[in-house]
Amino acid sequence: MSASRHRAEWWITGPSFIWLLVLFVVPTLMIFVITFRPSDPWGGIGDGWTLETLRRIFSGHYGAIIWRTFWISAVATALCMALALPSGYFIARASLRWRSTLLLLVIIPFWTSFLIRIFAWKVLLHPDGYVKQALVFLRLMDADTSLLYRSESVLLVLVYTLLPFAILPIYAAAEKFDFSLMEAARDLGAGKIRAWLRVFLPGIQRGLVTAVVMVFIPALGSYVIPDIVGGPTSEMIGNKIAQRTFVDRNLPHASGLAAGLTLAVLAPMLMVLYMQARRPASKQGAR
Amino acid sequence: MKRSNIPLYTTVAVLVFFYLPIAVLILHSFNASRFSGAWEGFSLRWYIRLFQEPDIWHAFRNTMVVALIATTASVTLGVAAAFALHRYHTRLQRIHYIMIYTPLVVPDILMGMSLLLFFVAIGAKLGLGTIVLAHTSFCVSYVAMVVLARLQDFDFSVMEAAQDLGAGWWTATVKILLPMLAPGIAAGALLAFTLSIDDFVITFFVTGPGATTLPIQIYSMIKHGSPPLINALSTILIMVTFVLVWSVQKLMEDKHA
Amino acid sequence: MESFLEFRDVTKSYGRIHAVDQVSLTVKRGEFFSLLGPSGCGKTTLLRMLAGFEQPDQGRIFLDGEDITDLPPNRRKVNTIFQNYALFPHMTVRENIAFGPRVAKRPSGEIHEEVERMLALIMLEEHAEKYPHQVSGGQKQRVAIARALINKPRVLLLDEPLAALDLKLRQHMLVELERIHDQVGITFLYVTHDQGEAMSLSDRIAVMKQGHVEQLGRPAEIYEAPVSSFVASFIGDTNFFDGEVLDTAGTDYLRLRVEGLPEVWCYNDKKKNIGDLVHLSVRPEKFRISKDVPSDEPNLNSVQARVEDIIYLGSLTRFRVRAGDVLIAVTQQHSRFLLDQEPIQWEDDVWISWHADDSYMLDRVTPESPGTNGDVGS
Repeated sequence: MSASRHRAEWWITGPSFIWLLVLFVVPTLMIFVITFRPSDPWGGIGDGWTLETLRRIFSGHYGAIIWRTFWISAVATALCMALALPSGYFIARASLRWRSTLLLLVIIPFWTSFLIRIFAWKVLLHPDGYVKQALVFLRLMDADTSLLYRSESVLLVLVYTLLPFAILPIYAAAEKFDFSLMEAARDLGAGKIRAWLRVFLPGIQRGLVTAVVMVFIPALGSYVIPDIVGGPTSEMIGNKIAQRTFVDRNLPHASGLAAGLTLAVLAPMLMVLYMQARRPASKQGAR
Repeated sequence: MKRSNIPLYTTVAVLVFFYLPIAVLILHSFNASRFSGAWEGFSLRWYIRLFQEPDIWHAFRNTMVVALIATTASVTLGVAAAFALHRYHTRLQRIHYIMIYTPLVVPDILMGMSLLLFFVAIGAKLGLGTIVLAHTSFCVSYVAMVVLARLQDFDFSVMEAAQDLGAGWWTATVKILLPMLAPGIAAGALLAFTLSIDDFVITFFVTGPGATTLPIQIYSMIKHGSPPLINALSTILIMVTFVLVWSVQKLMEDKHA
Repeated sequence: MESFLEFRDVTKSYGRIHAVDQVSLTVKRGEFFSLLGPSGCGKTTLLRMLAGFEQPDQGRIFLDGEDITDLPPNRRKVNTIFQNYALFPHMTVRENIAFGPRVAKRPSGEIHEEVERMLALIMLEEHAEKYPHQVSGGQKQRVAIARALINKPRVLLLDEPLAALDLKLRQHMLVELERIHDQVGITFLYVTHDQGEAMSLSDRIAVMKQGHVEQLGRPAEIYEAPVSSFVASFIGDTNFFDGEVLDTAGTDYLRLRVEGLPEVWCYNDKKKNIGDLVHLSVRPEKFRISKDVPSDEPNLNSVQARVEDIIYLGSLTRFRVRAGDVLIAVTQQHSRFLLDQEPIQWEDDVWISWHADDSYMLDRVTPESPGTNGDVGS
């Protein structure tokens, strides 16, 4: 490649590259670096290096929270997939006119401030709210139990906020899927379920993986949801990070926890990136 | 052969699930009663109260300023990034692509935390400035991906035609490429704007005294009471988001399909 | 020969593949010149090098005496009609046509006049304010032509312009292109894989294969006197007969031994001798087919055959007959009222005959093309 083309590439790439380097890559690395610094009395970062924070984290009984974070995220992911698969399939099979309407209906809540959506559930699940009234009326629960401030409510709202992230990739993959393959399978004697399992699911596997990753990773990092609709028994690691930052004013400690979360998130993320990077480059009018 | 109805029922159930809380919220913003458990008649009092709250206006102004600056900056950076990613296929671009793509997958709390650490470490004063920097950073990726998608669908033979007819590279870009790309760029800008006005977690981490945005205001209202006002504010935000997203969808549709 | 456009030893490779392999050819001023060949033969690459979108690895390109090889596309006095038209979707028909002159900063009065003239030439005056997505395929084609011609290029390049049109439209546009060429008088360089288009439009054709020119000549020359079996079978149908020279009757005619057939006479234009190998191409329309025994004319080849296949097409019938082991394609023109005659049926025994003057001796047999005895090439 010629030198002038090189220079042109650097000029165009430079701005976004440098910006993200400074304001994304470096801060992410800082999460790991600050873990090894002491906290200063005014809530900032002190000088020098120490392993004290790391020691405190490992002896800090975070096991229960880490486990809870993990299983809530996993269950939420499973529920999302169970709901997203039929929906994504349905929308992909719908006629064109319906399809864009359905997509719009799915996308709009997706872009609404999630703070608002979480709050909406807080209202719905409120002890005086409609849902509670209805359930008590139907004798499905008694008036004492609360719908809020428990792991189940966190799970519910998690599924609610993350479901679009599962539906859209599955829809995208299903839309590109050649459904005549399903007909061929039926023609060759496969039952409906078998055709679905053996032909459809493998055919959209990229979409499935993307969906799982796009739900699981944000779920691990949940903070606002457990904060608003969860209680002390349903705290997740995100809450602890926020608590250490804003309440305890111990940045290195929060940083250490964040570092752990970053590592947990890195693994599935790298997998998605690997698949994305393998996608062929766009065509350039080859002759 | 009868098609199973499970997909249909699931989709309908999912959509009801999506809109139920939002519908209830919007409903109650017009509820004369403070309490969401009882309906006391249609009323606009909460909206009126909302318009009288100085804190709300302050937060609104901040949100707008931040969104406008962040959108402008992220569109500039994002469009350039998209061009680079589309045109060149070097090792540099592969790293570039990872840098653009990763923020889309990283949980907000990690982005917020990392930026807070960064700002504290360099001694920056937390406030609207840091919020703008943070918003620009996560918006660049969205803009870049939207514009990149448009570039990948772009038929570059019109550029060859322009050159064939005598236009130099610059003229061709300005008269042909940019006008044709304008809807895609506008879609990216609207997306960035929407993300910025709705962001909470990242803003929460990097904000400072006096730099309250609407989402932060909503959060403190959730924590410290006054639910009906939140209903009203939320309804307005939902409506605005609806209009913005609808416009983005329209712009992303191929007009000449 | 005055050369107006010249490719001199032009080569272009992609990796180890030579898309264009040392091609030299010249095009005369005002000519309608076609590059004809199957996909991958290099015709499009050659065109794009002339337009300036590709650079030759070796060789030079001259236009009207000027070496334009290193000029960027926007500085060449050459305009292209793209296969998918490449009209600017955000501009009206009028604005599309005016683009070239606007870029060249012509005075606006002059632009307006020229655009009106072009709209009249392509007969789209009522559609001037429409956008490309509002007009039909054929109309888009004409806009593309006007947009190119308004710049008064020295050469107009057409890259398979009729490929995207349906049959009726294609036939109509063929006439249009011819009319425009006659009216405007500039040199056309036309790229196609469709031999019908090339034959009907061109003054001369260059048949290309795998990066080089197989044969260059007028359509009739290419059709009647193909140099290789590739050219013979790419254009139209033909029959190939390979034989060994048994006898030379004077120096004008040869008697050949062709496997599976009785002795065959052919005209000796390549001055072959006894023992030489000869490859003949005989076009199906050169045969006479009849149930009657043909009269005994000098230098007339006659063979008995059985009819295996009949395709009746109204004005003519295509036969496939088998003589011994050899399958031969014969086309019979119905110049008399057919129903007065007794038609030839399947499995009839017939006589087919052709004159020794009507076969053509190929220079070479192209390896991948059919070239063996009595193989019907099409």
